[in-house]
Amino acid sequence: MINVSGLTKEYKTGKEVVPVLKGVDLSIEEGEFVCIIGPSGSGKTTLLHLLGGLDTANSGSIYLKNTDLTSKTEKERTILRRKEIGLVFQNYQLLPTLTVYENIVFPMHADGKNVSATDVENLLKAVDLAGYENRFPYELSGGQQQRVAIARSLIHKPSLLLADEPTGNLDRKRSGDILDLLAKFHYEQKQTIVMVTHDMFAAGYADRIILFKDGVIEAEVKREDDDYAKFLARFMA
Amino acid sequence: MSVKHSLLALIYEKPRHGYELKTGFESLVEGLWPLNAGQVYTTLDRLERDSFVESPGHDKKDRKLYTITQAGKEELWSWLNEPVGRSLFKEEFYIKFLCASHVSYDNKKTMIRNQKETILKDILHLTQLRKQMSLSGNDTMKLLIEGALLHLEADMKWLERIEEEL
Repeated sequence: MINVSGLTKEYKTGKEVVPVLKGVDLSIEEGEFVCIIGPSGSGKTTLLHLLGGLDTANSGSIYLKNTDLTSKTEKERTILRRKEIGLVFQNYQLLPTLTVYENIVFPMHADGKNVSATDVENLLKAVDLAGYENRFPYELSGGQQQRVAIARSLIHKPSLLLADEPTGNLDRKRSGDILDLLAKFHYEQKQTIVMVTHDMFAAGYADRIILFKDGVIEAEVKREDDDYAKFLARFMA
Repeated sequence: MSVKHSLLALIYEKPRHGYELKTGFESLVEGLWPLNAGQVYTTLDRLERDSFVESPGHDKKDRKLYTITQAGKEELWSWLNEPVGRSLFKEEFYIKFLCASHVSYDNKKTMIRNQKETILKDILHLTQLRKQMSLSGNDTMKLLIEGALLHLEADMKWLERIEEEL
């Protein structure tokens, strides 16, 4: 599904060049639920943005279903993203002047595509927001807004869902609800999910956990591995 | 004793025989607490002795059936209504830590690290279980798991606090 090789990314702040990704190699199978954990500033969000085609790398390649994202123009990446990728962010990024319904269908309409009302209805039911179509984001709780954001990310039936700290602004109960929702979609639709988090309660939902440190993958562990807890204990320390 | 009262609750639901109670209990706890058949029959004997259950006879396969009595129902309600306290020293690690301090054990940091590792393992196990319960729609088990996770989160914070002080 995803093959990343020798990926580097640096940012310039004034005269200083800050390397954020220092050569990342990563392979993610179709249908996997992968979690990327690591300290703040370790490069995990940058990696997610590159995987989503929101930003460009300095070197290396990202193959998404045999298409090299790094060789595509911004417009081509946008087209690919609208077809294959769903994005969920920590701060929901809903448009405040649009209703729940309008927020969900916005990416499709922006792309000039029609949306079936039944699809929206089904998604609203799936995220437990049936009846909220005409509400505005400010009328919703954080957990509800994130559920709208998840519905919006799934309206075009993407094969890959990228989630950046999706539970970062939520309390434990609402975090659990969001993770349950992601797990449900993963189970029912067999989507590939890559989630960035620093929360071990969220990480526990993944099949594989990747530890990011100083712009490189330091280690990774699969759920069935014996040293799963030791691995995370090291991260926690 | 929770096994005794869980069996009473299962018999309250409908008349059952011993093996059905074993499988019923295990299904109730999602297979996380395997019950020894011997324990089921011993418990049933005691419940019968205390007049909390009685037997209306045997089923077609000659298995002894049990039904709940009025006294059994009252015992069940009484147990359900009784609040459960939390003893400070029921947590074995608390006692261990107390003893380690008492004998000036100089490996406390390792104790804490190992305990944190065990808690993490439990958290990950329970998080996966929560995911399964959510997918299968078992909301009651999900609530229990959430409770256990909150306790583990508190334990983890407590261990981190001790670590800072060591």
